[in-house]
Amino acid sequence: MIEVRNLTKRYGGTTAVDDLSFTVRPGRVTGFLGPNGAGKSTTMRMILGLDRPTGGEALVGGKRYADLGQPLRHVGALLDPAAVHHGRKALDHLRWIAASNGIPRRRAVELLEQVGLGGVRHKRIRALSLGMKQRLGVAAALLGDPRVLMFDEPVNGLDPEGVRWIRDLMRSLANEGRTVFVSSHLMSEMALTADHVVIVARGQLVKETPMEALTRNGSLEDAYLELTSGRGL
Amino acid sequence: MKNALAAEWLKLRTVRAPHGIVLAIGLILLFGASISFLIVRDYDTSPAAEQAKFASADSSVVITPVVQFLVAALGALVATSDPRLTALTAVPDRKRLLVAKTALVAATSAVLGAAALAVSTGVSWWIAGDRPPPIAPWEGLGDVLPWAGAAVLSILVTGLTGLGIGLAVRSTAVTVVVVGVLLWGLPAITPMLPDPWNVDASAVMVPYLVWEVAGVVEDAPLAPLAATAVLVLYALVTMGAGTATLLRRDA
Repeated sequence: MIEVRNLTKRYGGTTAVDDLSFTVRPGRVTGFLGPNGAGKSTTMRMILGLDRPTGGEALVGGKRYADLGQPLRHVGALLDPAAVHHGRKALDHLRWIAASNGIPRRRAVELLEQVGLGGVRHKRIRALSLGMKQRLGVAAALLGDPRVLMFDEPVNGLDPEGVRWIRDLMRSLANEGRTVFVSSHLMSEMALTADHVVIVARGQLVKETPMEALTRNGSLEDAYLELTSGRGL
Repeated sequence: MKNALAAEWLKLRTVRAPHGIVLAIGLILLFGASISFLIVRDYDTSPAAEQAKFASADSSVVITPVVQFLVAALGALVATSDPRLTALTAVPDRKRLLVAKTALVAATSAVLGAAALAVSTGVSWWIAGDRPPPIAPWEGLGDVLPWAGAAVLSILVTGLTGLGIGLAVRSTAVTVVVVGVLLWGLPAITPMLPDPWNVDASAVMVPYLVWEVAGVVEDAPLAPLAATAVLVLYALVTMGAGTATLLRRDA
């Protein structure tokens, strides 16, 4: 479970995240929606301890991410598939991440097979396509077999096959009882994937609700636009 | 800590640049040995009066500044080559990450420095053979150890300096430029300053500090202990800046 409590982030005079509170529960895919610049990525970065909150806190399983022993065994995250050393081989990339959390090397090999990259394990990352890099990022997130998973815009740049693969993966992870938190601004995709949505705009919570309640009287896109109209950048 | 250190070591040896640095150190050792060989060959064919004017066949003096620079570049790579987002997601305890990186750079720099000095001094000694001074660099082990020890210390310090600057500025290119200025740029400028600033400023430059630490310069501005303190200060100041940046700033 992810708990965000009164989370605030200011950069000088700009408030990126403003007193944001919500809970992401296990066993379902929770979509994190909002216009560009709404504070979605900043919120995810604060949950992972990458950015320091100006106020409030974000807890995973009741603890700050930085306080988790071997955090990748609790939380797997794909925030930016390009945040890798492109000169390193795919398997070596997973091996160092596994080593950092005491995860056996064989898990890296297994996961590369699982995400369909077994044949390119000895290729340098710069030689992989965008879709392959995305799959590599997913493999890195799954290394520690975590109960909580976070994906930031996971289908950006993917072909239809890749989009379906990510969607099916997230659904299956949630069905296993894991907490799946995924940010996106693609309404059609979220409508197919998420069970629950958290909508933010200008860093503030607009709505936290089951998908079903939001789409009862129309499409997710219509409901989203109605909720966020005039709240963009 | 063991896991963080293992990950840093794996990161270092699974990209090409560090292998290139080790190869470059090997090549510069070969270059140094060639220079020693050419000096000795020239010495052997020179008249006795000319032989007395020869410099020593010690190639470690030539290779040390280059190894300092290469090891500093290695420190910069450890600090900057992997995106901070991935590194801090895997090891969110920033102090642990810092200690792992520092231990790796210190150990690697010390090992590379010691190996480079052992090879360069040993080969120089072997090439000079039983020829007398000045072509023979040293008369015994007691002569070579202070110099070699000071050179290895300077290489360790420059490795940590590269790491510290890299952590502070978060750019490999900028770090390499700053290290180049510290190791080669400023020491080339300080002798041109008016007296006595030229002596005072030069005395705290890394290339001169190595000699002062070794205690092999007569009337050196700094005693070996003071010179050692100044040399170590390079690592402390830059690592301090790098630590502050890593611990306080967002990834």
